[in-house]
Amino acid sequence: METSRPVVVKHMPERVNVKQARVFLRDVEPLITSDRPQIVFDLSSVKQLDAAGVDMLLQCMSEVMKRDGDLKLAALSPHAAVILELTRTDRLFEIYETTADAVRSFSHFIPAAMRHQPFGLSSSGSSTAGSAQPTGVGPRHGGVPDVAA
Amino acid sequence: MDVRAIAIVASRDVSPDGFAGVPTAFLDLLGRSVLQRAVDRLRSFGIDDITVISEYGSVPTIQGVRWVSALGQSAWRLANKAFAEIAQSGAESVLLTHVGPYAEIDYEDLVQFHLDQGSRVTAVIEPDSELTGTFVLNPTRRNDAAYLFRHQLRTSRLPHSYYEFNGYFNPLSTAADLRRLAVDAFCGNAELEPDGIEVKPGVWAAPTARIHKRARVLAPSYIGAHARVRAAAVVTRCSVLEHHAHVDCGTVVDNATLLPNTSIGAGLDVAHSVVGSRRLFHLGRNVEVEIADPKLVGTVSNAPLRLVGHLASLASFLPAQVVRGIVKRGRDGQPISVPEAVQAPSPALKSATDESFSPNLIIARRYGNE
Repeated sequence: METSRPVVVKHMPERVNVKQARVFLRDVEPLITSDRPQIVFDLSSVKQLDAAGVDMLLQCMSEVMKRDGDLKLAALSPHAAVILELTRTDRLFEIYETTADAVRSFSHFIPAAMRHQPFGLSSSGSSTAGSAQPTGVGPRHGGVPDVAA
Repeated sequence: MDVRAIAIVASRDVSPDGFAGVPTAFLDLLGRSVLQRAVDRLRSFGIDDITVISEYGSVPTIQGVRWVSALGQSAWRLANKAFAEIAQSGAESVLLTHVGPYAEIDYEDLVQFHLDQGSRVTAVIEPDSELTGTFVLNPTRRNDAAYLFRHQLRTSRLPHSYYEFNGYFNPLSTAADLRRLAVDAFCGNAELEPDGIEVKPGVWAAPTARIHKRARVLAPSYIGAHARVRAAAVVTRCSVLEHHAHVDCGTVVDNATLLPNTSIGAGLDVAHSVVGSRRLFHLGRNVEVEIADPKLVGTVSNAPLRLVGHLASLASFLPAQVVRGIVKRGRDGQPISVPEAVQAPSPALKSATDESFSPNLIIARRYGNE
């Protein structure tokens, strides 16, 4: 477990079946019941995830949300990604490619959709509303779109 | 013209044959196995004398073909023996084919080409010069046949002629190929026809398929024999449910193939996948995962086993109900008389009169701003 920041990263075990899910839930209970918890579950080593594991993830999410915190998933193994998609739970979690990305996301307020959008100021810094071409969701979120050269 | 065929069902030691433990030749394609479709195609061109040599133990029954089981032996060696027997019995040409890839070859045209060329061996190739695993030989060319079998129909001795084949060909070497074949069949790119009745435009179902009236099956789709689609399930976008596949309530099957005897749990989303034998191959992610949880992906046991399971659960249910009834009656004790129960103060009121509340406590209810 890494606690260098207020964000707690927890690695999930290889097998998350009924028994392991219960053990894991007991393990993370102090974390999820703290005040405004910020937790990242690292699923990179998960090789078996069943319905009980998914249920446990939802339970953690529910508890964390009750306490105004957030639970994010990171570094999903292929198995975990397939199971989360199969059970339609992938859309309930924020999922990041790496644990570092997930941890960083707690200190940034950039929506996921905008993360790769060019919403910063152009190099000249002299954009005009008339000549600006809207790119994606940039202007709606207050960013200034790039100006065509 | 006496043309005979030898169809070989055997793995070539380049890659694992088949998907989810089922050899490619026995995989179902819209209701019928690859082998059955290969045999049907040969027959449609008048080649009725077919010898099937299989190295797998479980062989589905196909009427009218000569079966040679090569369990524990080399199928290729037995094929060589079968070739010698056919040559002695007076056949004019012998067609050798490795069952696995799906090819829509015009056999009549192929045999005619072979005779016109006058060559001893004719190899069928794809437009990109890859061998398809199908050859035509003169029965006298035993050495050439032996060479072909030794090399598992992957190469042949020169000189020979090439028959370039422009029809539909699918190597069926991956799960993605299996899906592509289903999509091509629905789109009309392949001559493959679903084995069932077109119950509405673009939706084929076997007569024994059970589709709940609240399930949605959108074209093009195929529901195989004894397959079951439960309430609120959705089957769409070229999805295929092979025989005895079960889709539980609320599950969406989108651009996916469920192999025979596969059951999918309730409320799931199966998309861009081939599922069977507790394995799921996700085409989008190009990954195969094993799923041990029967709530997600399970297998449907055969009918006698299911019957035994149902009988066992019924047999255990009735005594459990009897025991539960006896225990409950003993726990209830004397029945409460209704008037006494009604006149007794409510437990809630009783607790309110306890010392836990201060007598100075006032309970007021607010109406609007008053």
